Amino acid sequence: MAEAVKLAAKLREYETVFLVKPDLTDENVDKVKEKVRNIVNRDGGKFLRFTIWGKKKTMYPVAKQPRAIYIHAHFLGGSAMVAEVERNLRNFDEVTRFMSKRLADDVNPESHQPQEDLKLSGDVDDNKPFGGAEREGFGGFDNDMDDEGGFSA
Amino acid sequence: MSTMSPEKKRPAKKDNDGDMEGGDEKRGGRGFARRKVCRFCADKNAKVDYKDQSTLKYFVTERGKIIPRRISGNCALHQRAVAKAVKQSRGLALIPYLVLAS
Repeated sequence: MAEAVKLAAKLREYETVFLVKPDLTDENVDKVKEKVRNIVNRDGGKFLRFTIWGKKKTMYPVAKQPRAIYIHAHFLGGSAMVAEVERNLRNFDEVTRFMSKRLADDVNPESHQPQEDLKLSGDVDDNKPFGGAEREGFGGFDNDMDDEGGFSA
Repeated sequence: MSTMSPEKKRPAKKDNDGDMEGGDEKRGGRGFARRKVCRFCADKNAKVDYKDQSTLKYFVTERGKIIPRRISGNCALHQRAVAKAVKQSRGLALIPYLVLAS
């Protein structure tokens, strides 16, 4: 009995960020979410929270699209379960990219309770056409970091 | 120069032996650079996170290259963490692999 408790206590904390196609409706996003949640809960894990970052501009085209909807999943489970989640993500047509990361070992599932899903708004200017020159956000570096000449001694 | 407080200014001697000063105050090739402090060591709350593209932006050039430690001022531990985070972030298209000249 004590061993069973010990086994159950040996979960790891993971997070997975995955990108889905930008033209998905909210219902379809919810469907993907529920599928992932079911896999986690079915395979002996504990699902904690989804955070939808919203539709964001990607820095390079992903699946020939200039934008993607970012979804962040936070859960507890074992390594086999992560493999199962990733196998399924690979099979979903809507999912274009994913990455899982281990956050902590030996987590007590009782100390983490599922939280309500979050939804962030993503990028606001959603109607700009795709173009390398137009994307902003990659200026504003310190002047002393001179890219071209700075590294050669 | 010896009268300066050691925390503020690096002694000029150190600059001369091959250590290029990509510093904030460049003076005629062989000046003195402001001593840089690893920003993750200075601020205990700051964490290296591959999801935080606004922070990682400071450790990547406009071209998308990772800025070396001697310029960014990171300590070895945090530079390794930053480099890893940048690479993970690239995979999620939060940070570019490269930016072509426009």
